[in-house]
Amino acid sequence: MSDFNRSAPVEWGLRAYLLLIFAFVFAPIAASFVFSFNVDRFPSLPLGGFSLTWYQQVAADPLVWEGLRNTLIAGITVSVLATALGFGAAYTDFRYNFFGKSLYLALALLPPTIPVVILGLAMLAFLANIGLSGAIHSVIIAHVVMCAPFAMAIIRLRLSQMDPSLEAAAWNLGASQWVAMRHVILPFCRPALFAALFITMAVSFDEFAVSWFVSGLNETLPVKVLGFLQGQVSPKINVIGTFVFITSMTLVVLAQILLVKRSTGRAAGQ
Amino acid sequence: MADRTVLSGTRRQFLRSGAALAGGLLATPFLNRRAFAQPVELTMLAWYGHAEPDVVAAFEAEHNVKFKPKYYTGGDNMLGLIAQSPPGTFDVILSDAEYVQQLNAAGYIEELDPADYNFDDYFPEFQQFPGHWQDGKLFSVLTRFGFLGVAYNTDAISEKEASTYNVYWDEKLTGKVGHFDWHLPNLGQISLLQDNPSPYDIDEDAWEALQEKTMTLRPQIGGFFDYGGTFSSLQNGQMLAMAGIGDWITGTLERNGAKVRSVIPEEGGLQWTESFSIGKGTAKADLAKKWIQYITSPEGQVKSATMAAYPALIPNKDGWELLATEDPAEAKRQGMLLDDPNNAVELIRKGRIKYRQLPVQQSLEDWNDFWSDYKGA
Amino acid sequence: MTAPSRPGLAAGRVPARSETPGQVRPAGVQPAPERERKTVSVYGLTFSLPMLLWQLIFFLAPLLFLIALSFWTVRNFRMEPDFNPDNWSRMLGRSVFWEAYLRTLLLSASAAIVTSALAFPASYAIAFKLSDTARRWAIFLMVIPFFTSYLVRVYSWQIFLSDNGIINAALAPLGLGPFPMLNSDFGTMVGYLTLCLPLVILLQLFSLIFVDRNLVEAAHNLRCGRLRTVFEVVVPAARVGLTIAALFCFILTFGDFVSPLYLGGGDPPTLSILITDTTKSGQQWPRAAVVALVMIATLLVIAFAAVRFAYRERGR
Repeated sequence: MSDFNRSAPVEWGLRAYLLLIFAFVFAPIAASFVFSFNVDRFPSLPLGGFSLTWYQQVAADPLVWEGLRNTLIAGITVSVLATALGFGAAYTDFRYNFFGKSLYLALALLPPTIPVVILGLAMLAFLANIGLSGAIHSVIIAHVVMCAPFAMAIIRLRLSQMDPSLEAAAWNLGASQWVAMRHVILPFCRPALFAALFITMAVSFDEFAVSWFVSGLNETLPVKVLGFLQGQVSPKINVIGTFVFITSMTLVVLAQILLVKRSTGRAAGQ
Repeated sequence: MADRTVLSGTRRQFLRSGAALAGGLLATPFLNRRAFAQPVELTMLAWYGHAEPDVVAAFEAEHNVKFKPKYYTGGDNMLGLIAQSPPGTFDVILSDAEYVQQLNAAGYIEELDPADYNFDDYFPEFQQFPGHWQDGKLFSVLTRFGFLGVAYNTDAISEKEASTYNVYWDEKLTGKVGHFDWHLPNLGQISLLQDNPSPYDIDEDAWEALQEKTMTLRPQIGGFFDYGGTFSSLQNGQMLAMAGIGDWITGTLERNGAKVRSVIPEEGGLQWTESFSIGKGTAKADLAKKWIQYITSPEGQVKSATMAAYPALIPNKDGWELLATEDPAEAKRQGMLLDDPNNAVELIRKGRIKYRQLPVQQSLEDWNDFWSDYKGA
Repeated sequence: MTAPSRPGLAAGRVPARSETPGQVRPAGVQPAPERERKTVSVYGLTFSLPMLLWQLIFFLAPLLFLIALSFWTVRNFRMEPDFNPDNWSRMLGRSVFWEAYLRTLLLSASAAIVTSALAFPASYAIAFKLSDTARRWAIFLMVIPFFTSYLVRVYSWQIFLSDNGIINAALAPLGLGPFPMLNSDFGTMVGYLTLCLPLVILLQLFSLIFVDRNLVEAAHNLRCGRLRTVFEVVVPAARVGLTIAALFCFILTFGDFVSPLYLGGGDPPTLSILITDTTKSGQQWPRAAVVALVMIATLLVIAFAAVRFAYRERGR
C-alpha cells in the first residue's frame, strides 16, 4: 500500500470514531450489566446498592432454565437448517435462471417483510391446524421460515464476489459438479456460511413475537424476557440479559479459537 | 488386526448398552414411584404474576399440582392466542371483565355451577357481577378488583391538585402527562369528567362531546405507554401524571419507594375487575374448579390482595377480615377495613366508583378508531 | 481422453445464467432453443428444492391465510370466514392509516440512511485500517450485540435518555439544560440504531474486506485523493454489500414496534403500532391483516428494487 494517502490525523480520527461506535453499541449492554446488581427494583440514579438477589432469583426460577434450554435447542437447530436452506437458494439464484425464478426468490425473501405480530398469529393458526403447535418444533419451524432469507442474502452476497469462471475452470479440469461444489464453492463461501450460522442463531435467540404465539406453554427465553418486561419490571430482566450475553460470548470465543486453530493447522499442514 | 478391533469395539458397545438396559430395568420401580408422585399440570392463561410462588405455592403443595403459566401482555393477544390454539390447551383463564364477555361470546369458556363457589361470602355488589353471568348462567368467578383514578408524582403535584381529572390539563404538566395505552380506561375517565352518570353508556351527543374534550388534551401528552413503559415513565419521573391507571401500578411502585400515588378524584373513579374462568375442552375441570375455590377463599384472597406483581382489592368479606389480621398495614393502605367509613366498598356504594365496561351505545371499534385518530393527531 | 460432459464446457465457455437446474447438455453442443431436452438433474435440485419445499409447506399456507384473513368479518368478537372487502375500504380510507404509513416510510428511510452513513467510517476503518488480529477482534466484538436481547438493550437506553438519566446527569454540571431525548423521534432513531448498527457494519464490512486492493492501489498510483478514492473506487466496488445492508436496515425498522413504543413513546404511532392497536377493537385481526399486507407489498417492492440495483450486471 503506497504511503501517498496515509495521513496520521485521519488514521487516528477513524480509530477514535470506531471507538465511539463501539461505545454506543455497548453502552446499553454495560448499563444493563451494572443495573443487574442494583438492589433497587427500578433503575434510577444514583444506584441503590450492590446486591446479588436478582441473580439468585433468576437462578432459582426453573422456568427461566427451561426457557434457556428451549432457546438453545431451537437456536442451534434453526441456524443449521436455515443456513443449509439459504445456501441452496443462494446458489440456485447465483447459477441458474429459470421460469418462475422471480416467484422463487419472492417466496424465499418474503418472510422478513411480514410484521411479526401478524405472522405469529398466522403461523399459530396454521401449525395448530396440522397439530404442530405449542412445542419447540413449532418455534424451530417458524424461525427457519424467518431466518433462512437472512442466510440466503448473506451467502448470495458472498457468491457475488466470486468469479463464475472458477466453477467452469474446475469442470474443465475434470471435476464433477459435486466435487467442484466441495472444493471450490463451499470453501469460498466459508466466511459467509459462518456469518449466516451466527446471524440466524442470533435472530432466533432474540425472537419473541412469533415465539409467543407458536411456542404456547413451552416458552423460549426471549418470550420470558418480554413477559418480565410487560409484567414484572425488575432487574431480573438485566440478569437474563447478562446471562445470555455471557453464554453467547463464550460460544463466539470458542468459535474464534476453533477457526484460528483450523486455519493455522491447515497452514502448518501444507 | 483391524477386524478384531472392530469386533471388540462392537462387543464392548454391546456390553455397555446391556448394562444400561439392565440398570434401567432395575431402576424402573424407582422411576414408577417417582412417576406416581409426579404433580398434575394445570395450565393457566393470565396476566403476569398469577402463577408465581407467592400466590400458588400453598395450593400446589396441598393438591400436588404444578402450574404451567402462559402470561399475556394484552387481552387482545390473549383472545387471538385462544382463538387459534387447540381447545383444551388452557385449563384456567384469568381475564378482565370486558374480555370475559368476549371470551363467552366466542365460546371459549365453560359454564360454571354457582353452587360450587362461595358467593354468599361476597359483598352483595359482587355476587351477580354483570358480564360474568349470561341469561342467569355463570361463566366466570370474580376474584379481584381495583380502582382507577389519577396517578401522579407526589413531588410534583399535591393530593388536592390531583383530586380532579382537570389536573391533566394543568400547564405545568405540559408534555409530562402520559396515557396508559388503552382507550377504555382513558376515555372512561374523561367521560366521568363530563359528568356522564354512566361513563360507558352515552348517547351520540355525549360521545361527540367526549371526543372533542379528549382532543383538547392531546398537546399535553408526552407518550402512550404499555405496562413496562408506564412503570419506567412514572418511576424515573419522565411522566408526572398518568391517565388510565390506578393503584395496581402505583401501589407496586410505592412498595419500592417511588414517589407516586393514585387518588380517586371528585368526579369519581373506575373499577377494573378480574375473574377466573375454566377453558372450554379442558381435561382437568375438577382441578380447575378447586383452584378457583382456593383463590376465592379467605386465604387465597389475602394472597391475591398482596400479590407481588400488582396489588388488588378483595370482593370477599371474610377475606377482608383475614387481611386485617394478617397484614393490617396493607389493609389500611388499600382501604379494606370493615369499620372504615371510606373503605373500598363504601366508595362504590356512595356512587364514586363506576365499573369499567365495554361501551354500550357505540361499538368497541368506534371507541378504538377514535383512540387511534387521537394518537395520530 | 475426452472431458466428461458437463454443462457449458464447450471451448471453455463460462456457464451462462441461462440454465435450468434440471438441464444437462452434452459438451460442445450449442443448445437449439426449441429442441432443448429438460431432464431432472439431482445436483441442481438438491440445492434449489429444500428452500422451495420448506417455504411452500410452512410459509405459503400462513401467508395465504393472512390474505384470506383480511377479508374475514368479526362477529361477536369471533373471527368468521367471509369475503368482506369492507376491511380494506375502511382501513385504506382512514387518514390515520396513511399518516402512519408515510411516517413509517420516512422513519425507516432515515434510519437506513443514517445507519449506513454512521456505519461506513467504522466499517471502512475495520476493513482497511486495522491489522488482521485487531480486525478479527473488532468483528468478534461487533457480533456480540447480536446475542444480547434487543428488548433489554432498548430498555437500558431509557436509563440514558430520560430527563433524569445518565446523559442529562452528565451534561448538567456543564450547565447544559436537560435535553428531552425520550418519547420523541430522536429516541426512536436511537432504538433503530441499536437494532441495526451492528448488522449494517458487519454487512458493509463483508463487502469492503473483499474489495480488490489492487484497485485502490491503482487509484493511488494515479494520484487520486483520499476521499475521491473512497467515493469513486471503494464504494462502487462494495456496492452490493452497502445496498444490502441499507435494505436490511429498512426492512427491520419498518416492522419494528419495540423502539417506537419504548423509546419513541408511541407518539405518533407507526404502522407496527397501528397493527397492535387495531386488534384492540375486539379481535379485529382482519383489519390488522390489511395493514400487514400493505406493509408486505411495500417492502417487497423496495426489496426487489434494491436487490436489482445491487446486483446490476457490470460485465459479469
